[in-house]
Amino acid sequence: MSRIAPPLILLLLLILQGGVSLLIPASISEAGLIIVIHSVFLFLLLLVMFYDLEDTYYALFFAILSGLLIDIVYTSIIGVYMFSYAIITYFFHGMRKLLHANFYVALILMIIGVGLVDSLLYFIYQFIGVTNMGIADYLSHRLMPTLFVNLLVFLIFYLIFKRKLVKWSNDRFDPKRSTN
Amino acid sequence: MSFFRRKRLFSILLGLIIMVGLIGYSLSDRDELSAVEEFFQDVFGWTQQAFLAPFNYITKVVDNIDGMINMYHENQVLKENLAQYQRVLYEVQELRNDNEELMALLKKTESIRDYTPIQASIIARSPEQWFKQVTINKGKQDGISQDMAVITADGMIGKIQSASQFTSSVLLLNGFDRSNRIAVTVMLTEDGGEAQGFIMGFNEEREQLILEFTEYYDEIPEGESVFSSGLGGIFPRGLEIGTIEEVTTDQYGLTQIAYVQPSADMENLNHVIVVDRTMVTDHTPDDTEDDDDKSEEED
Repeated sequence: MSRIAPPLILLLLLILQGGVSLLIPASISEAGLIIVIHSVFLFLLLLVMFYDLEDTYYALFFAILSGLLIDIVYTSIIGVYMFSYAIITYFFHGMRKLLHANFYVALILMIIGVGLVDSLLYFIYQFIGVTNMGIADYLSHRLMPTLFVNLLVFLIFYLIFKRKLVKWSNDRFDPKRSTN
Repeated sequence: MSFFRRKRLFSILLGLIIMVGLIGYSLSDRDELSAVEEFFQDVFGWTQQAFLAPFNYITKVVDNIDGMINMYHENQVLKENLAQYQRVLYEVQELRNDNEELMALLKKTESIRDYTPIQASIIARSPEQWFKQVTINKGKQDGISQDMAVITADGMIGKIQSASQFTSSVLLLNGFDRSNRIAVTVMLTEDGGEAQGFIMGFNEEREQLILEFTEYYDEIPEGESVFSSGLGGIFPRGLEIGTIEEVTTDQYGLTQIAYVQPSADMENLNHVIVVDRTMVTDHTPDDTEDDDDKSEEED
């Protein structure tokens, strides 16, 4: 269970992501707002904070894999999500020893993480020419609503997964090495 | 420590190089998806259909209740319309018979209007909304191939961007740019002539399509419908695209352009029809000479 659960949950989130974006009400996009639910990335952040140890890189591995799948299934350009997810996950893996994993730290890390990932995506897509949105428009019409919705999703995820992840981590790795 | 830092820098650079490589690969002009991409798109398509079944059921129930509220009022309007349609129907029937007879007289059996419809349902929308892309549950096995037009009852919504074996992704009209033009015509009411042009892209601010006319026309009526002309060789003739909102010139004042309001709603999509044009002009089996070089890909 402790081995197989995280990738399974990630896969489920990946599948749901395409369906959930069908359910976003049309009035939001008519108002010009763009909401991207980075549910996969939120789970990856939880993995970094509560599942991985100092010297294991499962979250990074899953980040590369799921980013690649998002690229293949949902966008026509491969590599953008893969790189963005991987590099931000790697960055937070490096930071984890500086911070204690409690709720408030997780919340702040999540806001920074989603902000970084989304703006990285924006800059890459801007550079390739997928979008030509101005930066002010991007901040007000995409980043803000996206951050807000992801915050809500993160709270739900935190309530559901936090304890389970710590338990899976302890089951899988030697509890003495665990930092939690 | 310095070794470790160097390793970290090295792996970030490696990641960057891989990303640029992959982006370059996927931006290159590809006719077909690679087998790996097809495989994953199909697998995800299947599972999505399974997972979305309950969601779809709920939305259907909500829609039904929504529909019931307006039923009485709509019924009245529809009854009025029905009387009118009856008359139009007879006219159409007569015209169609006429047309068939005349075509038979000319021994002309195929027309660029003809197409085979393929019914499909939307199963996913790209969570990255900068890609105006949705996935449908029909693929190459159902006869779908790249560049086919996709319509709803209201009008055209886009074209097939790539087809896998059992699913395919549709590029919506609001994601069109210069590389996927549509040849269109506008009826000029004055003298019964037609104005020819191309849909050149989508204006994000106005949320309208940009139509570029090939010539300069004096009188282009606003509010007139825009139809695909079928002259591009890919879409059949007569698919409704939208109505003209404003006629003006482009930023250099040289070409006449018009803003076109798409007639189909691109946000609430459920069931769509993929249009398989019967008359193929691109690669007919007769001209084996220039079969290999693809001179006319688009528009």
